[in-house]
Parts: sequence; structure tokens; C-alpha cells
Amino acid sequence: MSSHLETNVLPPSRQRELPGQTRKWVGHSMKRVEDRRFLLGKGQYIDDHAVPNMAHAATVRSPHAHARIISIDTSKAKALPGVIGVYTGTDLATVVDPCPSFASPPVTQRAIAIDKVRHVGEVVVAIVAVDRYIAEDAADLVEVEYEVLPANVDIEATLEATGDSVIHPADREGNKAHDESFKFGPVDEDFARADHIVRRRLRWKRSGAQPIETCGCISDYSVVDGGYTIHCNTNFSNFIPFVIAGSLRISPTVLRMQPIATGGSFGSKVFIHKIVILTSGLSRLAGQPVKYIEDRLEHFTNSDSHGSDRLYDAELALAKDGTMLSLRFDVIDDYGAYLQFGVGTHGNAMSQVTGPYRIGSFGMRVRAALTNKCQQGPYRGFGAEVTNWVLERLVDAAAEELGMDTVGLRLQNMIQPDQFPYMIPTGNIYDSGNFQEVYKQADELIGLAAWRKKAADLRAQGRCVGVGVATCQERSVYSPTEWWSLNNLAAPGFALSSTPEGISLRIDPVGKIFATLHSVFIGNSPETIVTQVLAEQFTVDPSDIVVSYSDTHSGFNGVGPQGSRFTAMITGACVSASYKIQTKLKRLAGHLLEAAEGDLELRDGAVTVKGTDRKISIGDVAMQASFFRLNFPDTPDFDSGLETTAVYDHPISTLPHPERKHLGVFYPMVGHICHIAVVEVDPQTGKVAILDYAAVHDNGTIMNPMTLEGQVLGGTANGIGSTLTEEFIYDDQGQFVNANFGEFAMSSAWEMPANLKIGHVETPSPYTEYGVKGGGEGGRLGAPSALSSAIDDALQRYGVKVEQIPVRPSTLRAMIRASGK
Amino acid sequence: MKPAAFAYERPSSIAAALDLLALDDIETRILAGGQSLVAMMNLRFARPARLIDINRLPDLDYIRREGDELAIGALARHADIKSSALVAQCCPLMHIAYEWVAHGTVRNRGTLCGNLCHADPASEMPAVALAVGATMVLRSKSGERRVAASDFFQGLYSTATRSDEMLVEVRVPVAPAGQKAGFAEVSMRKGDFAWALAAVLLTVSNGRIAQAVIACAGIDDRARRLHSVEQAITGQAADAATFKHAGSLARDAVNPHDDATTPAEYRKDLVCSLVEKAFVDAV
Amino acid sequence: MTTHAITITVNGRKREATVPARMLLSDCLRHTLGLPGTHVGCEHGVCGACTVMMDGRTVRSCLTFAVQADGSELTTIEGLANQSQLHPIQEAFWEEHGLQCGFCTPGMLMAAKELLSANPNPSDDEIREAISGNLCRCTGYTQIINAVRSAAAKLRAAVPTLAT
Repeated sequence: MSSHLETNVLPPSRQRELPGQTRKWVGHSMKRVEDRRFLLGKGQYIDDHAVPNMAHAATVRSPHAHARIISIDTSKAKALPGVIGVYTGTDLATVVDPCPSFASPPVTQRAIAIDKVRHVGEVVVAIVAVDRYIAEDAADLVEVEYEVLPANVDIEATLEATGDSVIHPADREGNKAHDESFKFGPVDEDFARADHIVRRRLRWKRSGAQPIETCGCISDYSVVDGGYTIHCNTNFSNFIPFVIAGSLRISPTVLRMQPIATGGSFGSKVFIHKIVILTSGLSRLAGQPVKYIEDRLEHFTNSDSHGSDRLYDAELALAKDGTMLSLRFDVIDDYGAYLQFGVGTHGNAMSQVTGPYRIGSFGMRVRAALTNKCQQGPYRGFGAEVTNWVLERLVDAAAEELGMDTVGLRLQNMIQPDQFPYMIPTGNIYDSGNFQEVYKQADELIGLAAWRKKAADLRAQGRCVGVGVATCQERSVYSPTEWWSLNNLAAPGFALSSTPEGISLRIDPVGKIFATLHSVFIGNSPETIVTQVLAEQFTVDPSDIVVSYSDTHSGFNGVGPQGSRFTAMITGACVSASYKIQTKLKRLAGHLLEAAEGDLELRDGAVTVKGTDRKISIGDVAMQASFFRLNFPDTPDFDSGLETTAVYDHPISTLPHPERKHLGVFYPMVGHICHIAVVEVDPQTGKVAILDYAAVHDNGTIMNPMTLEGQVLGGTANGIGSTLTEEFIYDDQGQFVNANFGEFAMSSAWEMPANLKIGHVETPSPYTEYGVKGGGEGGRLGAPSALSSAIDDALQRYGVKVEQIPVRPSTLRAMIRASGK
Repeated sequence: MKPAAFAYERPSSIAAALDLLALDDIETRILAGGQSLVAMMNLRFARPARLIDINRLPDLDYIRREGDELAIGALARHADIKSSALVAQCCPLMHIAYEWVAHGTVRNRGTLCGNLCHADPASEMPAVALAVGATMVLRSKSGERRVAASDFFQGLYSTATRSDEMLVEVRVPVAPAGQKAGFAEVSMRKGDFAWALAAVLLTVSNGRIAQAVIACAGIDDRARRLHSVEQAITGQAADAATFKHAGSLARDAVNPHDDATTPAEYRKDLVCSLVEKAFVDAV
Repeated sequence: MTTHAITITVNGRKREATVPARMLLSDCLRHTLGLPGTHVGCEHGVCGACTVMMDGRTVRSCLTFAVQADGSELTTIEGLANQSQLHPIQEAFWEEHGLQCGFCTPGMLMAAKELLSANPNPSDDEIREAISGNLCRCTGYTQIINAVRSAAAKLRAAVPTLAT
């Protein structure tokens, strides 16, 4: 291990529930607890809610990418019958503050722009009316005069911007919002001694999650206490509610955010604060509750959740026998007009930037470029999907340049099963794995050798058929140091180091188990997982368990679903809470049964003396614990109640080195993916057909095979779209030209391969309960690399290499045409 | 995305509908399937002041053979035309092309006549109408006139329909015996608007092309017949080499524009490939 | 503003409403008639989350004005189940994990219902075609196709009197 990692000492494991045991509920495909309400049309999503006297908001949005606001005439809009109010950014600023910014130093952003608009779709005026139709009519009547400024749309050119081209003259001198360099280990020396260096310029272009449900909010300002009751399909309301409260200029004591079902997030709803601030300010100004639901156009252009948009100059250093020595790159990321989340998506990538390979050092320069586009936010992979692809492209290039087999080169460099926990140069660890087994299964599932031969035969006949193999990491369960560890040392920002997950648990007088979660449902399976774990812990039937969600009054420490963390974290919280209640159950039961607590176990829903049939049901204990205090000794440990709370912290993380020689351990539950794709490219049209596909994922212990498979399939569909069809296209004037579902082409049922083969390997984590790892992002982390590799193979006679994502058909066709063959 | 307000009329007879159109006072659109119009209205790209809902008008939902023509009424839905045995028999080109039109739910409501009047430059049926030489029957309060497909499509979302007229029927010549039909399209996803498409008809006699018709869409502001290519290949052998040649001629015969999402060069490449493929599939 | 009195039979019940001409059927169902099970994803007719059955055929309710549904019979997701007993299609979706966030599900169920009414034994490609106009971002479609296949089998095995 390189000396720069010496100070990164790994804490011991806190795992309590060991993997590998036969269990009744955990590990089985329990049908989802959540489904009935959605199947019956009673999902109660945000737009299904109404409150009395509710008004509706619509927005006037900037038609320009970059402009000064000269004047706004709202008079005609205000005069329209049914309009309650018409509000500019100045109006809104009388009641709310700018949006929170996690960038350090911050970049100022307001829910309604003041003085300047910085991207097409940014809100300039908001209307409140009796219904959305009238609000949009009023929006048509608002007259805004702009002085158009130069539009910054090119990722490199924007870094040279001066004068009127500067997007945030008050916060930054130019349009470069971040510029930091890092070396982890002896990068320069490793490159100097390399026999071979592979260099590529690689471009990952922007797209976004675009779940079928957009963001929405109902906010109700209260004259009673000056606070707000808010329904919003956002996460984080029980993690950082005080931040929202701050922007709303209220104490957190009068912020009441309500939990609500969310129709898909994939990162886009991790922290919806802009429309919370907008809607709340409007409610206060209008004097009644206001509902604002983004329409699809607004969600494209103004959602603050575009994905990574990067340009890499990347290099991989190898010895002549193919041993990988070092990796370095210079990356520019086009963040759009704001920088709410800082460069966290690059911190995230540091968790697995050297992939499954024994690469000894890593260096990078990361620059954040501001442009006149909607800003970036979290999107499935949170930046690591890009570095997975960058590395795999370099590995394929290295194989070609060294005359080696692409699989052989990978296997030669792979971390071995006996090397875990494995610390990579950035300081993060891979907790466990057996990458060779994952590859082997994928190989067998698809019949790699046979396909390679068949593809070669078909190519000899003139068809463009190719096979690609990708071996990638899938990190899960993050520590938040990734959000700030790449910030300038002089201004790290809010350097938080924990992302806990809380749970409240109680048993009622008849033995029913009530669990309350402090974060929200977004399409994952929180209630099902919790039910499985609690059924396992208490040996009860799942029908005796119910799961609900808390509001910000009673909620705490709820970071929620993102970064593939939730299953592992809530399982940990369930175990902690269960243990506490089990301890008390046994204490009370021991007294009632006149048995020693150590002789007791839970079996079939009863506290039972081991090896006998003497028992008392959980329900009977609960009844006693609720109403019969005087049946027990008069010491506090027999006080009434079977209730507890638990907060589960990240089971293993460390701080970054103060000088960033390493970034600590921050995303250690790392799964592994092998995707193998067989494609045929039509060289005339550039269209890619997927002939065969295998996806083998190792996500540690599988809690629910059916729901995990859903994540693998959904993530792979997302990854296929990200590679072949999905791009947010801004023209040279900064117009977002395909901001609709017709032209932003997400996969339909036809784009998903019919014969997708899925496999699973389970190498449990030594650190989480049951050994689970997260699995929500993997498909998107692996598919782009496999498909790129397959397309290269298919188009070898043209010498075409996939060096940008996506490769839409017109892009591939242009590359083929340019080859001149 | 809510539409702007409009006056809604639902006349119960064609005559009443035509009376409304004859008012010619405010911007008026006909609401048939609405699959294109309402989407544009929701986006506020279209803001008619008046909509005339013709969906309840009697006697407009028909597909029937009249002599050597198929008559398809204004309210014949895509779904019914797609599944019609009569259409499959009498106009194989239309039948094949329907595979590519939208999705089931859209086809349930969308009408052929509405689609033709909408004249989207990347839509399938205008190219089919051009290729088969369909005739549009336009009726107004003052009478009826017939416009050949070659005169009907005039530009982006623009047809020969006057503001007081309604397309009541499209007449499609029954395909002559032995005529072959081929259709090929490239779009991002199945059912999406085409980046380019080719609709071809071919009559072969003694191994040579006696007559060829090529109509393309997605390449211009309207569907186009490629007369120069048709003439060039008439009389040539009906073989792979000729079809390939037709493709490369077609490539140079079209003039698409660059747009921000799709370069013109790509559409030209597609036309080359699609014309060839359509001919190959036809035989 | 001119309004129109309409009568729509929704899930077997006659419902009356007075609506502006431009009110979309999706909004009428969701907000005027209190049936929010039909979802709005795009309002330009692509995502299919708003799909309902009108007079026996699926339609995109975001591309239909409420006034057009006057006198029609509509079925929405709320009309599938028999009280609290899930329709076989809903059961199949539950068993096969055919939903994750549930937002596209109303449209998927309607598309499945239409398919299976016309074609009791569809091939996988026929299922794909039937749902190709419905976008899902969560599932990757495979488990939805499994669900529809399973629903088809359930319906074929069910007693003839069970209404599809």
C-alpha cells in the first residue's frame, strides 16, 4: 500500500447480523407491501393532494439563455379575472432568501431571478391564480424586456469568458467555479516509469433522470405562527429541514413538511428546495395556500437536476506486460448556471475511480465550468457512472494498443478475492468482492467465446456485429465527505461527516409492530425491506407490521434514498431498534416466565425458553407492558412501553486527510458489475440493435431478489438509454431544443433487450447488517461501458471508437462516414 | 401546460360544421382525433379561438371500396384503417406503413384525414398519399372540390385546405394487380416521428422496372416525390444494383436542413439507405 | 367564460360536471371528479401515464377535452378492482413486481386491459407493442411484460363470467 494511505486507518466492523444464514424473510422475494395503494390508484402523490382554499401557480420563464432583465410589466396579467397575484423576483425576495448552495464559496441562486436570467427556463415571474389554466393565461400577458447577453454554451470556451459573458460576476470572476488538483500516491513517478501511456479525450454529454412524475409542492403559510405547512415530493426534509427554514426566514419549529409518495427520483428529487422556496413565498404573498406542479417543460428546463456534462483528457499508465500502474485525468464539468451541490459528483467518482483494478496511484484536475444551462443535480450514478466509462474506455484502448485481449487485460489487473478490504489510492475501500466470479458468470450466461466467434464470422460477411465486456464497480452507502472533500482547503464549506438514518419503532398493546421512517418513498421498496427485517427480527408475520413516514415535526436523521444507501442504512436502523426492544421484551418476559433472560429467544412471535415450550407471546408481553406496570419490579428498567428510536450511522467511514493526501473511507460498500453486450450496428443509419446482453451484479447479501432484480433491470434500461439515445441538446444560443418526451428519447419497451440475462453473485459486506450492499444504480454504472466496447468491436472495420456518450444514431453515422471507408 | 381558451362547437351535421367554417371570423380548427392538435394546444403552439369537434358527425367513419378507389372518411381512425382487410388488400403500401404510425392508444383516436391535414413533415401518411396519388375531397358551404395529393401538401403544417373547408374524405386508388409496395423508416424509437422515411411502389415487367414511385418524408418541410430518381430507374433491371443506385440518387435528390438535433447529412444518408431498403422489401 | 354541462359514466357511475371547454379530461377526472388515480406525466401525449379507457378503447386523457367525453363510458384505474379485490391484472403486477414508483402504472394497466380484452394469449412482442406507448423509468419494462403475461394466463384460467 502506498505510504500516502498510512494515516487512513480502517475502524473495526460493527456488523451484528451476520450474512450467510438461512432466514425466513430476509433474502426472499416478498411481494411488496407498498403496491396496493398504487395499483388501486390511491397513491396520493403530490398532485393528488389538495388543501382548502388552495390556489395554483404558473411561471413565466426566460426565453433567453443569458440576459439582463430590464423591465417587467405585470399589469395586464394582474388584471385578468381569476388572478390572485403576479410576483417578480424582487417581490419574492421580500419574504424568502435565496436558495441554499452547497458550493463553497456559494453561487447565489433565487427561486425567481432578479436582475439577470442565466438559462432558458429560469423563472422570471410567478403567477398565482384560482386554477393553473388561468395562471398560464396570465403568464402569457406578462411583458418582460430583456437585454440579451452572450450565451455561454461551450464547455471549454466558457472558461475564457470575460465581461458580459460572466454569469455570476458577484460570486465568481469568470465562469470557472472550481479548479482543484489532487494527487493520490506517486502519480508522476508511476507515469514516468510506465512503458506505455494510453491517452484519450472523452466526452460525456448531459442528460437527466426525467422520472414520469415531475417535482411539485403545496405550501401553506400560516398566520397563526408565521410558519409553513408544506407537501413536496422531495427527500431530505428530515435531514436538513433547518436549511429550508433558513431560506424561508423561519425557525425550524414552525416548518411542517409532510411526507408524500414520490413518482420516481433517480436523484432528481433528492433535495427540491427551489420550488419549496418559490411556492412558500408565493403562499405568503398571496395569503393562501399555493400549489405548484412543474409541467414537463419546466422539469426539463428548470429542475436543477441535469446530469454530468464532462470533458476528460485521461491517461492510463501501464507496464509493457499490461500491468496498470497509474491513472490521471483533467476533467471539465459543465455545471450549468448554478452550483447548488458543489462538485460532489466528482467526489463521488473518487470512491471507485480506479475501478476493479490494482492501480497504485491516481491524479486529477477538476474544473467546474458555469454555462447558461439548467444546473446539474444528482442523477443515478452521481458522477461515478462517468468515471467508470472513462476508465473502461482507457482499458479497451490499452488492450488494443498493447495487442492484448480486452478481457485478459482486465482479469490480469483485477483485485483478487483475498485482497479485501482493498484500499484504493483515493483512500476509499472496497469492502468485499469476487470480481473474477462475477465475470465468470457473465461469460457463461452469454457464452462469450461463442459470441466472439460468431461476431467475427458475421463481420467477415460484412455485418457490423461486436461484443463488449465491462467490469465496473458499483459503490453504495455514502458518507457525505464526498460532497466537500474536493473543495478548496481554505474554504471547505459545511464539512459534514455523517449521513445517519433514523427509525422509530413500537409494539402496541396487542403485539402489532409500528415502524416509522424518517425519509420518503421514491419508488424503492422501503416498507417491504423494513417489514422483512422486522418480521425476521421479531419472528412475526409481516401482516403484524406496518410502516409509516414522519413529518418534520416528529422526524429525525432521515437522509433517505439516494446513493444506493437506503436498504443498508434502514436495515441497520431496524436492527438497532429491534435489539433494544428485544432486550426489553426478554427482560419483561423473563420476569413473567421466571426465567433468566439469557435462556430466552424469540420464536414464532413469542418469547420462549430455549429448548422448551414455555413461552409468552409478544402480544401478551406488550399488553403487560402497556397496562400492568405493577406486575413488575419497581425499577426503571421495567417501566411501561415497548418503544424506541434508533439512529444508525454509516457503519464504516473516515475523514479525508487534512491536506487531502487521501479522501478517507467514504463509500466502502462496493458491489461489482459485469455487463457483456452483443450489438449489431447498421452502418447506414447508425442505429444499434442489442442482440444479446448479460448483466451480473454482486450487491452483497440480497435482501429481496425480486426487488433487487427490478433495480438491476431498471438501471440497465436507464444505462442503455444514456448510451444510445438520451441527450439534452442545447444549441449555440443556449436554447434547449429537445425539451419534450417526443425528442428526448427515453427507452420504451422496445429498447430493452428481450433476452436480457441477469445473474447475481453475493459477496457479503463485512460491515453492514446481513452483509447487504446497495443495488440501485448499478445498471447505469455498467451499461455505457459494455455498449461502447461492443460498438467499437462491431465497427472495427471503420476504425470508429466510441469516445462520447451518448452515441445517437446520427453521431455514429457521422463517425462512420468520416472514416471514409 | 394547459391550452388557451377557445369556443367549443360540436355540430351534429356536416352542414352545420361547414356553416361554422364559413363564418371565417376567428381562427378555427377542426378537432378530430386531436392527437397532434391537442398536444400543440397544450404547449400553446396552437391557439385556435374556436374548435369544431366533428367526432359525433354521422356517416364520416367509413372505409369502403367505390369502384377502383378506396374511400376513407374523415372519422376513420388509424386503428381501424391499420386493421382493415380491405385496406390491406387495396392499398398494401398504406397497410405496411401503418406499422410505423405512433402507438395503439394514439391510433385509437387519431384519424387519417386529420393526420393528412396536420401535414407534419415527418409523418408517414402524407408520403403514402403522395406515392399512391390519393385525392383529398374538400367540402365547404359552397361545394366540394378535389385536390390531388401532389397539390395538397404545401409546406410545414400547411395544406391546400382553405379556411372554410373540411377534408371529408380521402380517395385512394386501388393498387393495380402486380404492383409491389415497400416502406422503410428510421426513427429514434418505434412510433416516434421519422428522421426519414421512404414509401415506394414498383411495377416490374420482364424483370425491368415499368413504373417506380418514391415518396420521402422527414427530409423537407413536406413529403416529396422523387421524380428524378423515379425516371432514372424506370426501364432498369429490377435488381439489387438498381435499388442501390436508386438510394444514392435519392440521396442527392433531397435537400434537408440541419437542425440542432439532426444534421442534414444524416437525413441524406438515411434516405439513401431507406429508398434502397424499401425497394428490396417490396420485391 | 363559457362552461359546458357534461355527463360521463365513469367506472359504471354516472357523473355530472360543468367544465370549461378547454379543461383536459385528465384534469376533469383528477380534480373535478375526485379520481386522481390517472396520472399526468407530460401533457403532450407521449408518456401514457394518463391513459384511460373511453368507450372501450384506450385514449390519452391529456389529449382529450372533458367535453369530448360527454355521454361516454370511461374506465379508470379506480374502476378495475372489485371493491377491495384486485383485478387479475393488478394481482399479476403485484406478484411480478410490475411497479416500483407506481406513477406509470395506471397507464400500463389500461394498456394491458385493452390488449388482453382483444388478445387473450399475446406473445411477448405483442405485449411490448401494447405498452410501447407507455414510458416507465423505474422498471426497465421486463417485469411489466412478465406481469402482463401472467395476467393473460390468469384471465384465461378464470371462470367465463369474470368480466375483463
